[in-house]
Amino acid sequence: MARRSLFGKDPAGPLDYLRKWPLLTVMAATFIFLYVPLLTLMAYSFNDSRRNIVWRGFTTDYYGKLFNNTDLMIAFGNSLTIALFSTIFSLVLGAMVAILLWRFKFPLKPLYEGTMALPIVIPEICMGVAMLAFFARIGWPNDLIWPINLANIIIAHISFTFPFVAVIIRARLAGFNREQEEAARDLGAGDWEVYRDVIIPHMKPGLVAGGLLAFTLSLDDFVITFFTSGPETVTFPVKVYSMVRFSVTPEVNAASTVLIVITVLLTAIGLWLQNKGTAKK
Amino acid sequence: MDSWYKFKRVFLSVGVPPTFWLVAFFLVPLALIWVFSFGEKTGVVGIDITWTIDNYIRAFNPDILKIFAKSLWLAIAATVICLFVGLPVALGIVYAPSKWKGLLLLGIMLPFWTNLLIRTYALIAVLRTRGYVNFTLEWFDAKIRVLFDLFGMGGIATALLGERFQALELLYNDNAVILGLVYVHLPFMVLPLYAALERLDRSYLEASLDLGAGHLRTLWNVVVPLALPGIISGIIITFIPALGSFLTPDLLGGPDSAMIATIIERQFKSANDWPFGSALSFLLMYITFGALALRAVMAKRGGSDGLEG
Amino acid sequence: MSNKIRNGLTRRSMLQASIAGAGAAWAGISFGPKAFADEEAKVNFYNWDTYIGETTLGDFENLTGVEANMSLFADNDELFAKLREGNPGFDVIVPSDTYVARMLAADMLEPLDYSLIPNTKNLNPLFTDAAYDPGRKHSVTYMWGTMGLGVRKSATDGITSWKDVFESDKYAGRIAILSESTAMIGMASMYLGTGMNPTSQADIDAAVDLLIKQKPAFKAIAEDNGQDLLASGEVDVTIEWSGDIGQVMLEDDDIDYVIPKEGSLIWADNLCIPKGAPHPMNAHKFINYILDAQAGALIADYIQYATPNQAARALLNDSYNKNPSVFPPDEVLAKCEWQIYQGEEISRMKDEAWTRFLAA
Repeated sequence: MARRSLFGKDPAGPLDYLRKWPLLTVMAATFIFLYVPLLTLMAYSFNDSRRNIVWRGFTTDYYGKLFNNTDLMIAFGNSLTIALFSTIFSLVLGAMVAILLWRFKFPLKPLYEGTMALPIVIPEICMGVAMLAFFARIGWPNDLIWPINLANIIIAHISFTFPFVAVIIRARLAGFNREQEEAARDLGAGDWEVYRDVIIPHMKPGLVAGGLLAFTLSLDDFVITFFTSGPETVTFPVKVYSMVRFSVTPEVNAASTVLIVITVLLTAIGLWLQNKGTAKK
Repeated sequence: MDSWYKFKRVFLSVGVPPTFWLVAFFLVPLALIWVFSFGEKTGVVGIDITWTIDNYIRAFNPDILKIFAKSLWLAIAATVICLFVGLPVALGIVYAPSKWKGLLLLGIMLPFWTNLLIRTYALIAVLRTRGYVNFTLEWFDAKIRVLFDLFGMGGIATALLGERFQALELLYNDNAVILGLVYVHLPFMVLPLYAALERLDRSYLEASLDLGAGHLRTLWNVVVPLALPGIISGIIITFIPALGSFLTPDLLGGPDSAMIATIIERQFKSANDWPFGSALSFLLMYITFGALALRAVMAKRGGSDGLEG
Repeated sequence: MSNKIRNGLTRRSMLQASIAGAGAAWAGISFGPKAFADEEAKVNFYNWDTYIGETTLGDFENLTGVEANMSLFADNDELFAKLREGNPGFDVIVPSDTYVARMLAADMLEPLDYSLIPNTKNLNPLFTDAAYDPGRKHSVTYMWGTMGLGVRKSATDGITSWKDVFESDKYAGRIAILSESTAMIGMASMYLGTGMNPTSQADIDAAVDLLIKQKPAFKAIAEDNGQDLLASGEVDVTIEWSGDIGQVMLEDDDIDYVIPKEGSLIWADNLCIPKGAPHPMNAHKFINYILDAQAGALIADYIQYATPNQAARALLNDSYNKNPSVFPPDEVLAKCEWQIYQGEEISRMKDEAWTRFLAA
């Protein structure tokens, strides 16, 4: 928290990069680049036309349609459930891999490392087909009840997200100062205490970044999900892909807008809660 | 770095679960496809595993090599741009006031919680001949002409800007694909950079600045070396998925912008040739796998994990 | 009687399953017992998007008490890829003509029991047989159409021939073609006089050489969104499916649909029951409902594709029945050719030729 006082209302310090114009320009340009298409999309969700080519007047019809589109809502619920579970699992597995690779010397390590990177390397479609063939051949049941019927999608998602998480956390761990650990050990901490009290707290930014990435990858995945989903387990991207293949209708735009608004709200609440928490400390 | 047998308990408890997962739910499915790549098609859906290497030989066809070279170039260009944009952005986030940090990080991620296909279509709406970029340019163009006309110099405006406004061709070429790849993969670069820079000790920077180095020199001599593990991670997780993109080139590219994943995708879908598609996928993986293994070996040689800062 | 059929279907599917291997075997084991008992009141319909009436599914449910659950696929390849390792639970699917043939070759379709689909009497007799499914034992036509050119009238001067697309720089940089390799090679081959379904390497090469030579004139290879490129003014000529152009014509008077004089492609999408369908009885019920005059009219009116359902057409007005982009005149149709599924060897030749086109 000491850091925050650095950024009070004092004049820009030497490290206050955010107030230096070159950096500010790059950041502003990046955000414009990222958000202009999204704003366009949101604007078109109010367009009174079946496709978003030409502006034909304002309407909120598509929002009405959207909320009556229970399929889309179910698909959205499925996507969130899948993303949540796969984020949790891939954080745990990814952190383990990161610690393993960062901490230990063991035989055939380069090979192990390379194998761990395969899910990042593999073309999506190839992994999708592999999963399709795998689940079909082991006779995975496809008439389970919700949410257990999402399990095969979640498994596939974890398999391709946790190596991404591992890469990010490992980069974070590389900056760990072993003296901290030695200090803890000198103070009598055992193996587990060292992990719990020293290493995991150090990993936190990596966990946050990795979690965000895992969530994003899972929420947005189409190809692998397509090959693992069944008639009862349609996710939002699978639904949307088949809907926009022919052209983007305002209804799809409306759905995305709602999604964006929900995300922003949830995020804002999360941040607010977090700030409240830290303020109390 | 510890030797595994000195800390067997910790080693096994962090090593076994992810290894089990990788083997059971990734390597086994992958092995299926790997076996397919040595198969021959029989009939419509049958695959006879004959351990032929024909599928691999077929891949070394000049057409496919040409498309592969093109994919490499597009993915490298996109990765480099991501790096040059991502580094200042990550730095900006790291040095932002802490209550802004989370917000900025989410600001980078948020667009990516919108579906990729929808985002790509939105990008098309912005970039197309009758899209917002061109509308904006046209508006400026018209204003400038009016301005010149006001001073009776309409001729100069025509000489400078041409007879009438020419819309920029921003879509359906290689530049559009690169732009699209950057748009899609930017957070893959920003996140690891952020994670790596977050730990950066500010005293190094202060020292460098105090000693009279400029900001750019500090960036190059201090920040970049310190952020190297993050940069390498970022390059890996940006470049590799970019190399495997097919939606972006299909939707934003011109007739010449096909990438290797487009060809692979076709083998699994319209061409219905799983053995060949598998062989192509594996070739792509062997290449990347080789590069990654090389990196790991070099890191090992370079003393105690030279790359790890 | 219906019981007999039900058992018959199941026994057959179990037999096939045990032959087809472990993947399909699961379908037999898990669905078998269910089909012996009364079927769950449900039907899983796997369809293209925007390809059903606005209220059709709800109406069906109200009428029969069977819940119709629709999922969507984006193209035939996806449908095929998804089903080839075993049916994950779909009851009714909608493959196009050549894919019906391909699925039949792979033994992926259940024969239909026409005694359960009395509404086939509503169909135009032209659709009671088809080369891709001789005797129509496994499929009934859902909708049909053509492929042709979507053109912007004000920017073109009456295109009548494929020449303007394939061998002229008149519209250079303003043409989009479709990312459908077999169809594009077929069109070029048709222009060269070797028909929609070239079989020899030489004919395929000639067609692809023509495309390669013309490549600089193509602005984009559209992923089934050619109509959007046309409507947004990105291109002035696009090869597209009739229905897609029909939809943008409703919003833009300056757009027209043309079938060039050399002829074009005619296609049909078909209702089929895949092997391993968990609810075959309901699937028949559903197909029968779609072929109903009233239901069929509502669907055709909403999606604006050509229906083979005569009784439904009788209920619709001239703006649908006389729309030339939906129902091209007979003399134009006479020149159109069906694509034929020519087996995997020729598919591979065409795919390699298309890769050559992309790399060139």
